Amino acid sequence: MNTSRMLGLVMIAPAAIMILLFFLMPVVLTGVFSMTNMTTATGISGGAYQIAPHSLNDLKSTMPDIAEQMAQPRYAIDEAGMKAVEGLGLDAGIATELRAKHIGDVFQTRREAERMIKGLDQRPSTPDVKKISEQFNRSVVNSRFSSKEELFSALDTLGFKLTDAQKDSVADVTYTGWNWTTENFSRIASSPDMARVLFNTLLYVALVLVLFNTAYAMLLMIWTHYMPSAPATIFRSIWLLPRITPVVIYVLMWKWLAWDTGFISVLMGKFGYPPKNYMLDNAYNAWVFVVLINGFIGASMGMLVFSSALKAIPKSQFFASEVDGASRWQQIRYIILPQMRWPILFVTCYQTLSLLASFNEILLSTRGGPGKATEVWSLAAYHTALNNYAGNLEYGLGAAMALVLVVIGIVLSLGYLRIFNYGTLVSRPLIED
Amino acid sequence: MRILLDNFSKSFGATKVIENMTFEVGHGEMLALLGPSGCGKSTTLFAICGIHRPTGGRILFGDRDVTDLPSQARNIGVVFQSYALYPHMTVAENIGFPLKVKGMATADIGKEVDRISGLVHIGNLLGRRPAELSGGQQQRVALARALVRKPDVLLLDEPLANLDAKLRLEMRSEIRRIQRETGITAILVTHDQVEAMSMCDRIAIMKEGEIVQIATPAEMYSDPRTAFVAGFLGNPPITFLRGVMANGAFVIPDSEIRVPLPASVSAPEGAKLMLGVRPEHFTPTGDISAPGNVTFAETQGRENLYDVQLNGGSLLRSIQPVRHDVNIGDAVTWAIDSKNALVFDDDGRRL
Ligand SMILES: Nc1ncnc2c1ncn2[C@@H]1O[C@H](COP(=O)(O)OP(=O)(O)OP(=O)(O)O)[C@@H](O)[C@H]1O
Ligand SMILES: [Mg+2]
Repeated sequence: MNTSRMLGLVMIAPAAIMILLFFLMPVVLTGVFSMTNMTTATGISGGAYQIAPHSLNDLKSTMPDIAEQMAQPRYAIDEAGMKAVEGLGLDAGIATELRAKHIGDVFQTRREAERMIKGLDQRPSTPDVKKISEQFNRSVVNSRFSSKEELFSALDTLGFKLTDAQKDSVADVTYTGWNWTTENFSRIASSPDMARVLFNTLLYVALVLVLFNTAYAMLLMIWTHYMPSAPATIFRSIWLLPRITPVVIYVLMWKWLAWDTGFISVLMGKFGYPPKNYMLDNAYNAWVFVVLINGFIGASMGMLVFSSALKAIPKSQFFASEVDGASRWQQIRYIILPQMRWPILFVTCYQTLSLLASFNEILLSTRGGPGKATEVWSLAAYHTALNNYAGNLEYGLGAAMALVLVVIGIVLSLGYLRIFNYGTLVSRPLIED
Repeated sequence: MRILLDNFSKSFGATKVIENMTFEVGHGEMLALLGPSGCGKSTTLFAICGIHRPTGGRILFGDRDVTDLPSQARNIGVVFQSYALYPHMTVAENIGFPLKVKGMATADIGKEVDRISGLVHIGNLLGRRPAELSGGQQQRVALARALVRKPDVLLLDEPLANLDAKLRLEMRSEIRRIQRETGITAILVTHDQVEAMSMCDRIAIMKEGEIVQIATPAEMYSDPRTAFVAGFLGNPPITFLRGVMANGAFVIPDSEIRVPLPASVSAPEGAKLMLGVRPEHFTPTGDISAPGNVTFAETQGRENLYDVQLNGGSLLRSIQPVRHDVNIGDAVTWAIDSKNALVFDDDGRRL
């Protein structure tokens, strides 16, 4: 390899590492998480084995006998129990005899164990028998084991003789960690909740994109174009305010507007309407607010892009079209709009992708409510994976939802690139080499 | 349709470009606005077509005051200096645009476009976009677009600047022919005096926002009102000798050159004067001999051009039929044709 190429590789190495770390890794990790059933309960590191009541429940269907037995305590004469008995302060002979004759024995029930204790040569009294038997009460329910081996040896010492197949199913149901699974995707595909969220998302993107990011932005562009330049600049700055105001504050202002003690309530109160939270009062209102909030923030970008594209059209074309007899509307229709094709497409692409991925305005304003009326895909993913009231965060499912979004984004980008027809965008260089 | 500019003024903010300009272009007349770069030719044109509103004065088309009418209401065709073609439309769509905005039927537009594009020789380019045309082709598209709506007034801002010599000649007569046939009143802005003289009925020479003189090409050439006008018209250009008034004659101090002036020229004794001599009036056949050395010689095919440094140091230019006996450095004694010499005072005013 020659040195200049070597040097080239060295030069792009930092960029490559950055791309790997900050662009690819998140996607890869999302992909990995999406193929698991990680939740708050499973944690994200490996889990333990715990014979919890619910795991016994699960077992009942396949191995009813064993599940039944595991639910009951057993009495195992083991070293730990012996130590405890020695600590009870009873006649030392009892412990000695017990250890000598019965260490390692397992009794299925309390009665059997106590019968054995009573039968000892030392003849412990009935209250003592109870005390002693209590020391050997061994239940597997709710005990945790850090590995399969520990689980099986514990079961073994308690006298559960299991076949390999049985061991496998016991390990399965008692495992508290996460597993690899594709279940997330089938859940997404089949859940009516998800369909609803998908519909919300499409509605949200379509409304904001069409009404505000393009149409309204275009209106602002045309409006400011035909204004004298000083007021045009002032108006453009005003329309930029939603964009440059911190989103938390901007949304807060909308909330003030809509709260039951806010502006709208006060105003409507003058006409005799009782105060209410206009934003969350019903789904229709919530949608209006969500679209307005996002729309006013998003329109500024279209306005800037369109305005600068418009500035790039030579003035002489407007002069010529006026001389040619074109009315203002005809100028817009035949001169401006046709030359706005790429800016419109660009804004559409860019804004679709950013609308799909962004949920902060909705989170701050309606939290997806009322109910789940304004819950969009990215917000649903966030709620599922990172923040919900139930408390059990389903990382795996959330990641799968995010992955769906990533895939949709990639597909859309590729589609847009096709429409843009990269070849014509990257036109031939003016200076050929 | 007659165009009248009455006391027209235009300033951009504090920059006064044109002040109190008055001139008239008669019905069916073609007027050339000739002047150096930046003198306000385009500005005047823009005011006539309604893109710029005058800051003072009136503009009349016929008897109609159009001063405050928008361009759309003026029925004018304009060829802009920068062509101003619509880059996203094909040539045919560009040419047809004025008709389309009028609401003409597509088929009729097509017919008109075919007709007019044949006229300017771009019938084979109709499907292309402006970016795929040469400068000269773009100019012709712009011309076709200006003509297609049969305007009352045609304004041309250097419409031929980008054409090659042959095509320019062709287009000159073509534009003139179309203008004559249709009886359109036209104003042609140009730098090129040959263009102005050959195409137009009258020429208006502008300097720094003012019209110095309006006249027919022949009048303007033989009877310029100022030294500026005399210097602007004529190729090769006129040369000036500097001297003083002495005993009713133009005299260059420290030289034997003495050109008697007609009685009509009145200037005080000793006043500084300029004598304009056109190259064709400094030849071996003149009456006031002015000896000197040839410093420059050039053949233009049919004629030869010489610069002669007179003994006093002044320069005269001469144009003569081709001859081979004079070379650079030769001493010659050619003569000024005093009847055709033009006399100006020190400020350039004709006397
Ligand atoms: N929009 C404007 N704002 C300020 N000054 C202007 C503007 N347009 C033109 N001018 C000035 O007015 C003067 C006349 O300009 P104009 O374009 O009419 O010149 P022109 O005679 O057409 O020159 P050219 O032959 O180079 O085209 C110039 O000095 C120019 O700088
Ligand atoms: Mg100009």
